[in-house]
Amino acid sequence: MLERWITALRTEDAAAEPAAATRERLKALFPPGATRRMTQLGLTLGATLQPLAPTEDDTLVYASTYAETHALESYLDSFPSPSPTLFQTSIHPSSVQQKLIQRQQPVRHFFPITGGSTLPVQALLVALLADTPRVLLCGGEERGGWLLEQNRASDRTFAFSLALSASPADALARLCIEFPDTAALADTFPAPGASSPPSAPPLPLPAFFDLLHHRRPYTCLVSPGRRLTLTWTA
Amino acid sequence: MSALPPPVRVSACGALTAFGDESATLAALLAGRRALTLTPVHGRDGGDPVPLALLPGRAYDETLPPSWFPHLRDLAARIPAPTPSHPPSTLAPSSIPWGSSRHPVFVTGSNFGVSHLHAYRLHGDPAHLDYGTPFDCVRHVATALGWGSDVTTFSHACVSAHLGLLHATRVLAAGLADSALVFSFDFISPFVAGGFHALKILNADFPAPYQDRPAGSIGLGDGAAFAVLTRDRGAFVLAGQSLHNEMHHFTANRPDGAGFAACLAPLLAACADRRVWLKGHGTGTLEAGRLEATALATAFPAAPLVSWKGALGHTLGSCGLVELALATAALRAGRAPGTVGSTSPGFTDAVVFAPLDLAAYDAVVCTSNAFGGAHAAFLLHHA
Amino acid sequence: MPDPLHVKLKTLIVETLRLEDIVPADIPDDEPLIGGGLSLDSIDALELVVRLEKEFGLKIASSEESRTALASVSALATYVRAHAAPDRLHA
Repeated sequence: MLERWITALRTEDAAAEPAAATRERLKALFPPGATRRMTQLGLTLGATLQPLAPTEDDTLVYASTYAETHALESYLDSFPSPSPTLFQTSIHPSSVQQKLIQRQQPVRHFFPITGGSTLPVQALLVALLADTPRVLLCGGEERGGWLLEQNRASDRTFAFSLALSASPADALARLCIEFPDTAALADTFPAPGASSPPSAPPLPLPAFFDLLHHRRPYTCLVSPGRRLTLTWTA
Repeated sequence: MSALPPPVRVSACGALTAFGDESATLAALLAGRRALTLTPVHGRDGGDPVPLALLPGRAYDETLPPSWFPHLRDLAARIPAPTPSHPPSTLAPSSIPWGSSRHPVFVTGSNFGVSHLHAYRLHGDPAHLDYGTPFDCVRHVATALGWGSDVTTFSHACVSAHLGLLHATRVLAAGLADSALVFSFDFISPFVAGGFHALKILNADFPAPYQDRPAGSIGLGDGAAFAVLTRDRGAFVLAGQSLHNEMHHFTANRPDGAGFAACLAPLLAACADRRVWLKGHGTGTLEAGRLEATALATAFPAAPLVSWKGALGHTLGSCGLVELALATAALRAGRAPGTVGSTSPGFTDAVVFAPLDLAAYDAVVCTSNAFGGAHAAFLLHHA
Repeated sequence: MPDPLHVKLKTLIVETLRLEDIVPADIPDDEPLIGGGLSLDSIDALELVVRLEKEFGLKIASSEESRTALASVSALATYVRAHAAPDRLHA
């Protein structure tokens, strides 16, 4: 079993808010002039990450399925004269870099990952296997434009940052991943000839965000041989 | 400073570049050949000529299905099947796919199928969207290659492969897997090249890594690779792995080189009794190349330094794993290619331009760097 | 009387880089554009290059050349006058 305790948590649910409105709402949190190149995800993620004060000794794990959707859409549309600014800001993991570069804050271990319905669990596994005293797990999406029309973007903008500690002191919640029946599963999953593995309830990033934002408990076999449990203590 | 992860064995690895597999690529590099050729940056739409190294016969422009997929399938066919660790098993070994619970897959890359989003925007064919996002692209690859569901995707530009290697190492060390497959790919397209061209670092000049000259330039190349990691089986050892992220600027490093030094520092103790040679990142840019060469010379005095990107181009998200496979091939052969495409003077006296006889060395430190001042390094030697 | 090309370039800088709370007249002629009081960096420089290439039909080949061209507004005006397509310069 791998476990850690959530000792700090910030969430930002911008829902369907236009990017310009998000910038206007959050720009006071950033240095003057700093937001002109920031994306909506960079703004919301930065707003949640800032209070956790990342340090060089932390491990930082960042999860997003679609990442900088608007920057990517705009960058695609800037061809055949591609915009260098949009090129940079559209590359994963730009949203975290936007914030930390502003603060000139190095981080030794930084793991940006992407994926689908198992992304939160995968990100948690990276976080729980980290060897630093504190691990920051952050993530989010921004609502898409034409990519959303093609179901290739998020339909909402949200972001979260949480701090994971090996100590339960002052914890808000406990997170653990258990590995039930590992030996029995070792050579038998998936079964030969099966067209697809037994399905596990999906926990995509928006659903994981909702658990955090609304402080909901959770326990479920999220993938073969992995049970995720989230228990709120405060 | 956190401790290094435990050593892990590389039981198999392979690569695919414009020269072919890792053996063919090594031979070409030892012969001083360069795969880069001047190609119109916009493909069929023309544009400035830029140095690219594409897989022979592969269409540069986006096609349906993706032109890179048959090559990826051929590479994947070389990956040995996972070996079960709990004999006896009711299943023959070949029945256990990669991506099953004890044999996870870690995909690492930067661009994945993003050029298909560009193609969709240009031509309106929704079939391109099946490959466009990293999630869709990896799902397509995993399904086509028959992988199970345990597939994690790391995406951190040109240090992506190192993240996959490090996390796979931790998964193995925690006893959560018996073997792990790290799989990496990045294929060039007008969309990908266009971005670097906009940064003015991809131009008509061929790259010359670590060469002290007035202007810098890079080339881009197709690349794909795999590595199978285990706790205790394999001819090579990843004896140390290190990361550091400067977060100084998106496209520039701290001018004092501290970021490079911070990544190398944790490996110094592991290298203390080793005679190392250095495989650097060396893309052909001036400032970063100078800082990197200087930091490596400071950390490893008298260790010879090579880069292969002057021949292969920068294979972007796959470079860490492609160059791991080439480094293991060099260690097997006892000879390492020099810095093809570059001539004296180098930024430091450690830069080697001709092939290197490895008889005097017993380990290699391989480094990669990425946007945002990301740095990664590992120590590799024979088991 | 300000140089019309200087005025045009300063307007282009404010628009292209979406500088908030800055008007073209705020930009000095001879102070460093990049790394100076405007807090512009190398990415801003490249963004300007894209706009300049489109606006004036010129071609900046490398990052080193862009650094020279964008040393200041005066330096940029000199560069544009030397390299712009004639019909774009007087548009």
